[in-house]
Formats: sequence, C-alpha cells, structure tokens
Amino acid sequence: MSDGLDYSTEFKLTEKYQTSPWIRSHRDNAVSWIAAHAARYWYLGLIMLAGAIGNAGLAAAVPIYIGQAMDALLGAEDPLTVLQKIAWWIVGTQVVRGVLQFGRNFSAELIGQRMERDIRHEFYTSLLGKSMTYHNLQPVGDVMARATNDVREINFMFSPGINLVVGSANFIVMPILFSFRYHPALAAAPVIFLVLYILALWQYLYELRPITDAVRKAFGRLNTRLAEAVDGIETVKGAAAEKKEVRLFEKNAENFRDQEVRQGDVEARFLPLLLMGLVQSGGLLHAIILFQRGLVNVGDIVAYFGLLLLLGFPTFVSLFAYSQVSLGVAGARRILELINKETELDQNEAGYEQPMQGELAFQGVYFAYPDGEVTVKDINFEVKPGQTVAIVGQTGSGKTTLAKLVNRTYDVNQGKIIIDGVDLRDWNLAELRKQISIIEQDIFLFSDSIADNIAFGRPEANREEIKQAAKSAQADKFIQSFRNGYDTVLGERGVTLSGGQRQRLALARAFLTDPRILILDDSTSSIDSATEDEIQRAIFAAAEGRTTLIITHRLSQIRWADHILVLRGGEIVASGTHEEMMETSPAYRRIFSE
Amino acid sequence: MGFFSGLDTEEYDREYGDRELISRIFTYLQPHGKRIFWISFFLILVAGAGAALPLLVSNGVDRFSQGPADNAVYLLVGLVLLSTVINWGGNWVRRRLTVRTVSDMTMTLRIDAFESAANHDLSFYDQFSSGRVVSRITSDTREFGKLVVLVTDLIAQLAQALILGIILSQIEIRLFLYVLGFLPLLFVISLAFRKLARKVTREGMRAMAKVNATIKETVSGIAVAKNFRQEQAIFDDFHQANQESYQMNVQRGLVLSMVFPLLNALGGIGTAFLVYVGGINVTQGLVTVGSWYLFLLSLDRFFFPVLNLSAFWAQVQAGLSASERVFALIDAQPAVVQHQQIVPERLSGKVVIENLDFRYEEDEWVFRDFNLTIQPGESVALVGHTGAGKSSIAKLLARFYEFQAGRIVVDDYNIRDLDLIAYRKHLGMIAQVPFLFSGTIADNISYACGECGEEEMLAMAKKIGQGEWLDTLPEGLQTQVGERGGQLSMGQRQLVALLRVLVQHPSIFILDEATASIDPFTEWQIQQALDLVLEHSTSILIAHRLSTVKSADRIVVLQDGRIIEEGTHRTLLADDGHYANLYNTYFRHQSLEYIEESRDLV
Repeated sequence: MSDGLDYSTEFKLTEKYQTSPWIRSHRDNAVSWIAAHAARYWYLGLIMLAGAIGNAGLAAAVPIYIGQAMDALLGAEDPLTVLQKIAWWIVGTQVVRGVLQFGRNFSAELIGQRMERDIRHEFYTSLLGKSMTYHNLQPVGDVMARATNDVREINFMFSPGINLVVGSANFIVMPILFSFRYHPALAAAPVIFLVLYILALWQYLYELRPITDAVRKAFGRLNTRLAEAVDGIETVKGAAAEKKEVRLFEKNAENFRDQEVRQGDVEARFLPLLLMGLVQSGGLLHAIILFQRGLVNVGDIVAYFGLLLLLGFPTFVSLFAYSQVSLGVAGARRILELINKETELDQNEAGYEQPMQGELAFQGVYFAYPDGEVTVKDINFEVKPGQTVAIVGQTGSGKTTLAKLVNRTYDVNQGKIIIDGVDLRDWNLAELRKQISIIEQDIFLFSDSIADNIAFGRPEANREEIKQAAKSAQADKFIQSFRNGYDTVLGERGVTLSGGQRQRLALARAFLTDPRILILDDSTSSIDSATEDEIQRAIFAAAEGRTTLIITHRLSQIRWADHILVLRGGEIVASGTHEEMMETSPAYRRIFSE
Repeated sequence: MGFFSGLDTEEYDREYGDRELISRIFTYLQPHGKRIFWISFFLILVAGAGAALPLLVSNGVDRFSQGPADNAVYLLVGLVLLSTVINWGGNWVRRRLTVRTVSDMTMTLRIDAFESAANHDLSFYDQFSSGRVVSRITSDTREFGKLVVLVTDLIAQLAQALILGIILSQIEIRLFLYVLGFLPLLFVISLAFRKLARKVTREGMRAMAKVNATIKETVSGIAVAKNFRQEQAIFDDFHQANQESYQMNVQRGLVLSMVFPLLNALGGIGTAFLVYVGGINVTQGLVTVGSWYLFLLSLDRFFFPVLNLSAFWAQVQAGLSASERVFALIDAQPAVVQHQQIVPERLSGKVVIENLDFRYEEDEWVFRDFNLTIQPGESVALVGHTGAGKSSIAKLLARFYEFQAGRIVVDDYNIRDLDLIAYRKHLGMIAQVPFLFSGTIADNISYACGECGEEEMLAMAKKIGQGEWLDTLPEGLQTQVGERGGQLSMGQRQLVALLRVLVQHPSIFILDEATASIDPFTEWQIQQALDLVLEHSTSILIAHRLSTVKSADRIVVLQDGRIIEEGTHRTLLADDGHYANLYNTYFRHQSLEYIEESRDLV
C-alpha cells in the first residue's frame, strides 16, 4: 500500500485510465487536490486570466474615453472630429472586450466541465478499486450524491465561481491602476474600498453561513414530515390525527419562516453596497477638491467617477460568487473523504488456488463492525460439501453478516473460517470469490436486456446456455411471457420485475457461473401458491450439488435443510437437523405448529 | 442574474384565468397592506435616490465646465453621498419588509394548502400522487413567493428608469428617442438569446437525465460487478456516460458564455453612438455638456431593466402556474360530505351495509346492491381475488370514499351523520404496508390515542412474546424508527402498528394484512398481537395469511363485488366450492402439509 498504487488493490484499469501519481499525491488536502487537477488545464487558466484582465481593462476604457470626449467638447477646436474618432475607439474596444470576456467565460466553463469529468472519473475508478467490504459499508445513496452533486459543485466552483471572483477582482484593480493617470492621490478611494470590501465581505459570509445552515435544516424538517404525513395519509386519517399533523406542520412552517427571515435580514443589510456608495461619493469629493486646486480637469473627474462606478460589479457578484467557491471546496472534501478511506483486506495473490470442494467450517468466529457493534459471537458449525444450511432468526440477529464472512466481504475478528481445510485468509481472494456466489436481499439488475443480466457473470455465455440457466431457475416461463422475451430491457425505461422474479434471475446468474458455494439471502414472499411452487423448485435445484447457505423465512426451506442454525443477538441459540430441533427447541416447535 | 433564471421550467397548461389568479393572490397580500404600503414607499424612495445620482453628477459637471466653481459643489457632493446612503438604507428596509411579507404569505399559503390536503378524502390522493402534493406545498408555494420578490424588484428598476426617462425627455427629446429606439433592439436580442439558452438547457437536461441514470446505475452496480469480477465492463459504461455528459455540458456552456459578452459589446456600440450624436447636440447648443454626460450615465440604468424584462414574462408565467397548482389543491372539493356531526360516546361495533352501490370511476361499479351485516365482537375475514372488493369495504367503512347509493349503519348511526374525527377514534386501522412516522417507537404506538402512558404501552408490549422483540431494540420503546420506520424490519413495523391499535382499544378493527415476508419467529409474535386485538373488537380482516383466515369467526368470499359464499374455514373447505379454489390458489403453500411435501416438487 505504500507503493502509490494503493487504490487499485482489487481491480486495475489499463494505464491510460488511471489517475496520475502526481494527482494522487495531492489527495490529503482538498484545495491542493483541486489545484492539482486544475493545473492540467493551465493554458485555459491563462486564457481566463488574460480574458479577465482584458475585459476589465477595456471596460475601464469607456469612462476614460468619455473623459476625453468631455475635454474635447469643452476645449477642442473641432470637437466632432475628435468625438468621431473616440466613438470608433469605443466601438472597437468594446467589441474586442466582448471577445475577451467570452474567452474568459468559456475557458472557465471548460475548466469547470473538465474538472467535473475528471474528478468523477477519478472518484469512480477509486470506487472500483475498493474492496467489497467498503461497498458493503458505504450507503449507495451517499456515494451517488457525491458522484453527482458534489462533483457538480466543483464544476460550479470554477464556472461561475472562480470566473466571477477573478473577473470582478480585476474590476477593483483597474480603477486603482487607472486613477494614477489622473492623479496618484486618487488611488486612495479604490484602495480603501479594496481593504474595507474584503473585511465587510468576510464578515458577511461569516455571519451568513450558520444561518443558511439553519434554513436548510428547518426546511429539511418541514419537508420530511410533510412527505411522511402525505404518504401516510391513510394512517393519519385512520388515527383521526389530521389536526395533530396540521399543528405540527404549522410549527415546522413557522420555524422555517423565522429562519428565512433571519437570513433575509442579514442579506438585506449587505454592507459592501453601502461601502461602494461611500467610496464613490468620497472619490468624487476627492476629485473635485483636486479640480478646485487646478490639479485635474473636468474630463478627469468624469473619467475617474466612471472608473469608480466599475466597483458595482464586484459588489454585486460577491453576493454569491464566494459561497460558490467554498461550496466547491466542501464538495471536494466530501469526495476525498471516500477516496481516502482505505480497506485493509489483502488479496493474497500467492494464496491457495484449487478447485473448491465446498467443505465449510466456522470455528469460534467473532465479528464486529468498525463502529464497534458486535454482530456475531462464537459461531461454530460444519458443513459437508453439497449440504444445505438454513439460517433462521429475527432481523438484526446477525444472519446476513454471518453469510458475508464466507466470501471475505468482511474478515473475522477472532476464530477462523475454513473451506476445504484451508483458512479463508490463506486462499487467493480472487479464486475464492470466483467459486462463491452471493445472492443478496436487494437484487440489483442493470437496465440491460434480461439475457445480459443473466450472463453478467459470464458474458461469453451463448443464448442456449442462458436459456438453460433460466429454465433451471424457473425463470424461463415468465421471461417468455414478455413480448421481447430474453431481449426485454429492464429498469426505469423498461419492464419492472417483482421481487420473486428478480430473485429467480439472480438464481439463473448463479446457475450460469456454477459456484461451489452458494449463499442465498432470501426474503421474497409469494402471494399465490403457484409462484411459491416455482420459487421452491428453483431454490431446491440451485442448492443441488453445491454447498448452500440459505437465509430464509420459508418454512419449507428450513424444514428440508440438512442443518439449521437459529441466531439471536449474533449467537447460535439452537442448531441441528429439523428432527433434532423439534425435540430440543420449544421456539422452533412453535413455528411449526398451526 | 435574472436573465439566467427559470431556464429549466416546464410548460404547464393553466386552467385558472390570469385575473382570477391575481385576485386570489391579492387575498393573500391583503393582510400585509401596511407593509406593502411601506415597501412601495421605500421602493419609490430608492428609485428616486438611484435616479438622483446621475442627475447630481451631471449637474456638477455643468458647474465645472467653466473652471473652478463655488462652494455649492460641496453641497452637491453631500447630496450624492445622501443619495447613496438612502439607496442602501432604503433597500435595507425594503428588503427586510419584503422578506417578512413573502415569508408570512408563503407560510400562510403552505398551511392552508396542507390543511386542505389533510382534509381531502382518499379519492383525491388517487388522482394526485403524494409526491405531487408535497411539491405543491413546498416548491410551488416557494415559486409563488419568488414571484412577489421578482415583481417588486422589477418595479423598483422600472420606476428608476421611468423617473430618469421623464427627466431625459424633458432635456432633449430627440436624444432621448435615440436611447429609446435602442432599447427594443436590445430587448429582442435578449429575448432571442433566452430562447436559445432555454433550448440548450432543455436539451442538456434531457441528456443529463440519461447520463445521470447511467452514472446512478454504474455506481449502484459496483458491488454486483465486483461479485462477478466484471469491473472492466461496468467501467466502460461509466466512462462513456461521463464523456457524453461532458460534451453536452460544454455545448450548453458555449451558448451561455456568449450572452453577456454580446450584450456588453452591444452596450458599447450604444455608448459610442450617444457619445457622437450627443456631442453634435452639444456643439449645436441644444444640450449642455452635463446633460450629454447624464445621457451616458443613464444608459446603464435602462440597460438592466430591459435585460431583466426579457426574462420577466417567462418567470411570471412560471410563478403564476405554480400559484395555480397551489390554489387548485386548496380549492379541490371533497367528495365525502357529512350531513351531521354526531359524536358517538361508545360503539358496540355492529355494522350493517344495505343496498350499497359504489364505484371509484364512472361506469366501473365495484358494488351493486351489496349487503353485509357484522355483529358486535365478530371477526370477519374477507377473501377473494384482487378486485373482488375486499379493500373497498374497509375503505368505505373508514369513510375514506363516498358511495353512490344505499347506506352504511354503524350501531344505530348512519355513517354520513357521524363526526368523522370522533368516529375514527373508535376505528383501529392497519394498512397493508404499515406506516410509521419518524420518531420513537413510543411516539408511534401512542399516535392514535394521544395520552397513553409509557406503562400501558410497556404492559401491552410485554404481552407479546414476553416482550422479547423490545429487548432486541437498542433503546426499547425509545428507539428511533427512522424516516417512514425504515430503521425497523417489516415484521417489527407490523408489531408496532398492531400495538398502536391495541392501546387505542377500538370498537372496530380493520386490518389489511401485509404480504411481505417475515421471519417465522416475528410472525408468531404478530399472530399473538393479532389474537389480542381480535378478542376485544369487531374485526374486518382482509386476510392473506392462512392462520388469520382460520382464526376468523366467519369467512366471507367475495367475487366481483358480490358475496358468493359464507362460513368457517372448515365448512367452506368441505363444501369444495369457490373458497376451496381460493385456498388452493393463495393459502395452500402456507399449510404444514405443503411444507412436508415441498421436497417432492423437484
């Protein structure tokens, strides 16, 4: 893990798609990580900067020309010729300004979009390289949010965020620089503005942040309860609780209103606006004093005042540009948090790799999640190749965790698990997993054709093999009932399958990959007996000839298992064959009585 | 950034007229009349101060044009200072008042909307998905608030432009007409640009939705891909989607990046034109240098209102559509109407349904001339295929829907004469998917009864499987159940829902039994809890479990809204009629015989 190739322990992409070591070495700090990414597009950064300077400089040219025009009108012999020339200059500079501003905008846009693309890419490849343990512990919704929203925040951080920050900063710099044209002392007003602007802005953002958080929270509370009340309207009405819910909603709505008003008050007071007005009138006064002393002329006053009007842009933009930048950094931090999370399962590439027989034993196994919650304790049992073990217990009794120890999704804390007489940790991990299949409770299917979904574990399988697998899994019949049969597309824009149908597709996948050990987390239920017949057939057939661990609520599966484990609170409280359990366990007997 | 807002709003067919909507909006504005007066006052004050600035400065220019001026110019500077302070201070006060008005208004509107949603019967929710109702109450009301802010902001800008416009036209009408002539051009160009921006935004959104779906899927699918070692395949999908997303966004960015540069260049050309043409006027002595400068300073102040105006109409339309959606929610007529508000003291639980006609939709009768009598304390299981009318009986009894003919009598009360809130306090109901609210288990158990003590709840909870299910929860009754009860298993949710009914001691119990798979140990506890409820209440059970059917006093077999068989499990099975058929279809696999024989299926 120290060789810098840390991230692809489980899976390696071809060189071309890997994240460069240089960027990876910047992952400890969000700002430098963003900078490292952005540095690849330094030329775009240069265009943006040049565009920003040019844009502001040429924007400043307008008041300067107007000042000259004023002087021409007041003193020149043939003012109209001068004016004509000036007018053409204004047209020329402003058209060039448009081009430069476009350059600034579009290069910022390109940087932003490329950052979004690159960072999402880096994030995704990093996710692919993470262990199964990692993916089991990380809620999918959370990962999703980071891969879409947070990545987008980094995009917005550049465009419009940094684009406007850089762009508007130049609108403060230009008045300072150009005021020297007229009188060095005139730089005072814009310089004072710069200093006070930074202070006022800092204060404003500092004051606003906790309030916007409070607004968001208040809205979250309002919205969550509202959604619950509307979704559960039947329950609300059934319990005659409409008034109660309306009162609660009123309370939440009032609280949200109060927070919104607080935010509005801070925004209303926006000091940089006052500051701008003060500086503009102060600057005007300054220029007039110099004029009274004969140090500048009328055109200069006009030009200078025009330059001070440029300060309006940074004042206006600061209402949102800076928070956009800080949102981007926060987003980067959240992404890095996941990228930097390491998982310590080692691949053991030199480990044991032989065709698996499927003999399995747990010896004094303990396991606790990283948060300290102990889920399984002192588990001991043995399974002979080809046998079926039913694991029974209430939700939270540790059934699923126990099953996931078998393919090393998690590693035991104490004790050991042995397959074919070899400790799991001495197996080559890839070889081990190839011969074990897990069918989870929530079966994930891709928005592809049914055939592709079945063949997911063996893409090279032909249609005949796929059909055979589906037949064994009792899925062929319902697949044929779709108009496009095996080419039916699943998912949002396609057909939606019931839980039982999904499960049978997953079983078909397993038939195709033919693992030696099958772990089935079964939580479907059948409304009618005919479907139940099919599911029973599919499960019995899948268990045939391979070691099977089945977590189930189905009494028939429990009844006919070779070995039954009853879990409670992470411990085995009863175990044995059906006949033995009927003798020894009153709780077990109870569930088999009518 | 008014120009860029509302690019992604969808079009919406309106049913209310503009006039009607606006008068509705006014009823919500009315209570804030005083505030609105002050908002308008400050709005005009600010507009005046904003217009004063260029006037003052140009006035100063005239004074200087002949060399150093008297000290009156310092007064002028003082006035400039004053105008900027008024500008800021007036805005401050105006914004404070506006945020209060808007927040209060949206709050009132929200509460009205929710109250009306809470009082609608279920036929309303059949028409509108809960997601749509929620978005009307939260986002559409927010759009409504934005509409008000938008209008006041634009009025402020227009007022300033108007004041300036009047003054400029007084100074030199021809020059002013030049400026005015320039504005429609600007308006048309911004309008065209907005149309283009809207087009690329829509296209981008559509493409992005597709790309996002792929990204969602490839992220969710990682675990499966790893299970089968198919990382390369899933990476290829991701990579392609990520690239497409990039290309779409760059196209959109290209259009949006052009807007301000183009408008700025255009503004520059306008300025150049004014510099020259205005200069001619000065040399002809038509206007002073100061006025010439005033025109130049004012140009910007016409520029922005026009720009915002180009986006205004679309935004107003979006805002009006949003308010219409909210008003439609408030105005929807409830179908269930009570004739009297009788508050029953106690109900024995006798139910008589006589000559009932009922349908959800036109021409699709669920019941014609339906009759059923249930004795106090009796438990009746309703069985039949989907669509036979099982749930409809439960929903009519709960008065969630209006029926078309016949009558339902509970004890001796006509169901239409009862006070619904009082009546439903005597009803215990469990929906097919038991619904819990975020909060603790105790909150949920006491949801229907309000003042149940912790002790009573605990005593009840302990009656079920010796309270073992509570021991498995980290904090017993005080365990948080999570949003919609998501932290609990389906079985636990059913137990909580049953306890909610148990502590309520209802006269009539209506159960739409869950079909979800539950572990056999929890199942046994649920059966215990159910037996406890059945003991004390008249029960109507829409049964999906064999044990529930067996425990009912009477089984009523329904087909197409008609009762075709009645009896107990044993007698009906012996008759070998329709029930025996249903048993083979829905219940056979739950029997012990089936379990014993299942091995032979293969």
